[in-house]
Amino acid sequence: MSSVELQHISKRFPTVAALSDVSFTVRDHEFFVLLGPTGAGKTTTLRIIAALLKQDEGSVLFDGEAVDGLTPADRDVAFVFQQYSLYPTMTVYDNLAFPLRSPMRKTPEPEIKERVQHAAEILRITHLLDRKTARLSGGEMQRVSIGRAIVRQPRIFLMDEPLSNLDAKLRESLRVELQHMQKTQGNTTLFVTHDQIEALTMADRIAVLDHGRIIQIGAPADIYDRPATTFVATLVGTPRINLFTAARENGTYFVANSDLHLPMPGDRAMPQQVQVGLRPEDVKITPGGRFTGVVALTEPLGVETILHIRSGQQTLLSILPGITPLRRDDPVRFDILHERLHFFDVDGKRV
Amino acid sequence: MFVRAGVRTPTHNNCDNRAACGVMTEVRTDPTIAERVAASTPEPLARRVRGLSDRAIAWAFIGPTVGLLLAINIFPLLWTVYLSFTNYRANRPNEEILWIGTRNYERVLTDPDIWAAMQATAHFVVWTIVLQTVLGFGLAWLIDRKFRGSAFWTTIILIPMMLSSAVVGNFWKFLYQPQIGLFNYVVSFFTGIDPSSFDMIGSVTLAPWAIVIVDTWMWTPYVMLICLAGLRSIPDYIYEAAEVDRASPWRQFWSITLPMALPFIMLAVLFRGIENFKMFDLVVQLTGGGPGSITELTSINLKREAFEKWRTGYSSALAVILFVAVFGLANIYVKALNRVKQR
Repeated sequence: MSSVELQHISKRFPTVAALSDVSFTVRDHEFFVLLGPTGAGKTTTLRIIAALLKQDEGSVLFDGEAVDGLTPADRDVAFVFQQYSLYPTMTVYDNLAFPLRSPMRKTPEPEIKERVQHAAEILRITHLLDRKTARLSGGEMQRVSIGRAIVRQPRIFLMDEPLSNLDAKLRESLRVELQHMQKTQGNTTLFVTHDQIEALTMADRIAVLDHGRIIQIGAPADIYDRPATTFVATLVGTPRINLFTAARENGTYFVANSDLHLPMPGDRAMPQQVQVGLRPEDVKITPGGRFTGVVALTEPLGVETILHIRSGQQTLLSILPGITPLRRDDPVRFDILHERLHFFDVDGKRV
Repeated sequence: MFVRAGVRTPTHNNCDNRAACGVMTEVRTDPTIAERVAASTPEPLARRVRGLSDRAIAWAFIGPTVGLLLAINIFPLLWTVYLSFTNYRANRPNEEILWIGTRNYERVLTDPDIWAAMQATAHFVVWTIVLQTVLGFGLAWLIDRKFRGSAFWTTIILIPMMLSSAVVGNFWKFLYQPQIGLFNYVVSFFTGIDPSSFDMIGSVTLAPWAIVIVDTWMWTPYVMLICLAGLRSIPDYIYEAAEVDRASPWRQFWSITLPMALPFIMLAVLFRGIENFKMFDLVVQLTGGGPGSITELTSINLKREAFEKWRTGYSSALAVILFVAVFGLANIYVKALNRVKQR
């Protein structure tokens, strides 16, 4: 396993700039997640690391050594594609054995057999080994595709949204399996996803990418608790963060079109106009709350209920544990945890 | 009642009450075929259609086709089988037709001319298929590189296929002329052989190759087109996966490109095989079966027996033998093709 470093990578396609000045390091044995919406340049980044695509500027380093001149085969990476990318005319066994049968690797057949068996056991696909890949379900195909990556010991695992074509249940269980596998074997993994839950649950560190630029890099807790921009704040967390514009008056921020008002933090210089971010779990429904509102909608999810509260002309989300007896149009009182407020300037940058 | 509701067009059906209309449409969900046909047919014709059952409508649609098929395909086939057991001669219609059992078949199968024709056909079919498949797949593989102007070259390559085979036979006759022909000139240019020292059409050893060359020139583009479709059907990400898995270009070709394009190649071989087994016009134009009968393929031989020598019963027997052979071979081949496709 290796560490992988990207230095000032830029890539332009004929019509768009896919990546501009992207730099980050995936440390050895780290589970690193690249999170961003569709078209952010996540896949482009992966393909550049695998040498399936050539960057216009910048350089890729494996263990501190530039690998820009090397082909995909020489870089020795494993790639799990979103479309599974299995060889359709071969059996599952042959698919798994394919990378080991490369003349560049020269693995004896008994060892191939052993390693394929081992990978199949980890992914619980032993019973599928004799099948043709065309007859597998999506989940089985993706397991085989992950298996093809783990039969060998590459320098880094590159995974391009491997779970996004699967149904919710399967995605959840494969997510746990992947995480378990990565932790027990210590594989360096770069995982691309647009799903913030995958990012938060699996990552050691997350890099948030938007329009080809890195917005923030940090541990999941950093990203969630100290989002660098409103973009990151809204991208991460369900239900979505409450975001209001507010104006300052005598040391207090008044939220437009409602009677919500928040104290100004005293420890830093604050602008006149701000955007205030407020996580739903930081809006506490209590009988003695300082603010009043009306229930606009409830979304009972079983383990918790998402409450849409109308206050003035603003609607904010809150979370209650379990199922609530509150109904539409019921009046509620709530408090806001001041120490958990996020302030952003009008351009969306954290202050 | 249902039928009438179906026939009613919106113009006749000025329904003020929307809810009532909604109920009506609900009532006539799932109309039968006859109803739907009636609804979309002009009024006078619709009145006649309305009384029919779905089965009758279905027969009305496929009846003409089935009738034509029976009249010009199935009946002649059965009639040929019958004639093959008789001594019938089409140029002597008044003579009594005698049932002579399998004697025609015995004659056909012991006739050395027939076996010579079969051999000529086999030589022609095998070599055209081999050459066209190799060249066609090779061209497709090159065109698939998507270089600059590949679309232009694809069009150029397809031109021979668009010509009439009679025209092709005719002008290749001129190209093969020992004195003025371009073919002989080109061969002499590259090899230094005297251009008038050989005659592609006139020589017993060269004539079978002359027809193979022309057919290959004409139909390689067709094989290329089918192979190109096969190559284009292989997604890029499979090659990318192979590249990451450290497969050399050679290994990618043998373990991905060829197996995935194989059903298409086999289809091209099937089409060319069937076409060339019954090859007639091109060869008749080019060599007329000569010199002697060295390029007389079975279809040419069959035509001579049937419409020059008027041995109708005999040629019917030959036709039946050929039909059974081609039909059987094609069936076995299609089974193999399906097995390849199912992998």
